[in-house]
Amino acid sequence: MPDEPTEGQDHDGPVFTGFGIGSAVLGVLAVAAVVLGVMIWTEHRSDVDELHYRARVMQAAADWTSVLINMNKDTVEADLNKLHEGTVGQLNADFDVTVEPYRALVQKLQAKTTGQVDSVAVESIHHAPPGPNGAPPPQQQPELLGAASRTDTLMVVATSISQNAGTDKPQTVRWNLRLDVADVDGKLLISRLEPIR
Amino acid sequence: MRNLLRVLAFDILAPAAAVVALVYIGMALAWPLWWVSVCSVLALLIVEGVVVNIVLARRDSVTVGTDDDGPGLRLAVVAVATAALAAGVIIGYVKWTVPDRTLNNDASEVVGIASSVSEASATFTPQSPTASVDRVTAMMSPKSAEAFKREFADVAKDLTSRSISAQATTVSAGVEAIGPDAASVAVIMRATQNAPGKPTDTAVLALRVQLSKSDGHWVVDDVSPIHSR
Repeated sequence: MPDEPTEGQDHDGPVFTGFGIGSAVLGVLAVAAVVLGVMIWTEHRSDVDELHYRARVMQAAADWTSVLINMNKDTVEADLNKLHEGTVGQLNADFDVTVEPYRALVQKLQAKTTGQVDSVAVESIHHAPPGPNGAPPPQQQPELLGAASRTDTLMVVATSISQNAGTDKPQTVRWNLRLDVADVDGKLLISRLEPIR
Repeated sequence: MRNLLRVLAFDILAPAAAVVALVYIGMALAWPLWWVSVCSVLALLIVEGVVVNIVLARRDSVTVGTDDDGPGLRLAVVAVATAALAAGVIIGYVKWTVPDRTLNNDASEVVGIASSVSEASATFTPQSPTASVDRVTAMMSPKSAEAFKREFADVAKDLTSRSISAQATTVSAGVEAIGPDAASVAVIMRATQNAPGKPTDTAVLALRVQLSKSDGHWVVDDVSPIHSR
């Protein structure tokens, strides 16, 4: 910050004094320090924001999944509505098709289900199984690119236990899901649901 | 004009920069009690200096910045401000940039380790029953490695007697939680088992790998299934 000043002094005499040159050098150093300090701070802020955002994304995925794995036959319609509201993009458009297996499962079991999310993680390694023609399936949804400022892929591992009214022993369902969470105007919405089989 | 610039730089900006630097250092250090007191004392000294400067300027119509007979004091003011700013940069770098970078590097490192440990732990070939165990234990801490070997010995015997071979490939892996010296990684794998005369058995396994950092290296403490049932 205290940089320009030094030029002031040097106008004074015919020669630059040692003090003037010293002040000028220190002034330049000070300006450089301010610039570096601002850069360090901005970088740190964005790192911290990134961690907070990831925590929010993980929470959003956990909340959404825990509705999905806790569906009972009495609440299935209300739960599906709630899930539908939390989606966007392809998953929102094809919601009924995508959740059909889950709806069928709930209705078939006719049971009391309690589920528990065991693990949520932001995915950083993914090996997609090759599609039917050998190429990996497309990961991006073009229609989302405009609406969502970013999309993260999460892995959610959950367990649910269905207690049948009858004498059957409880049935355990193990969930291994990949969810895409999109940030649409600050709202975190699920844009893809892919069970890993 | 020249005097105005000197007043701005030496009488206003320099002390302001020094105070900002003190606060910046405080933020980087996360305000420990000792810095709260050091910072208050130093800031008070700077404010005092500014007040004295103003009072003297009213009396003599000359400030530190505009005094042609006091270039040494001017140099000292700039030196102190620059020193404070430089200290701020160094402390900010050490307290923010270095740990942030380490954490990011650690995050990708632990995922890689976890993925290969998980794959190795679900791989078995009857021809060389200890190969994959050795690969797993090489990445483990000595204590966990012993426990893992003990646990695996019976399984290995059983698999060898039925000449079952198993492979696993990672589908997804990601960090659940990470700190400076501990991390937990979730790995979802597709595992296949081949037994002679039987169809191939495929299953999806979800494993949690717990790691800790010792002497700058990440070692695996535990590999366990994630599903609660």
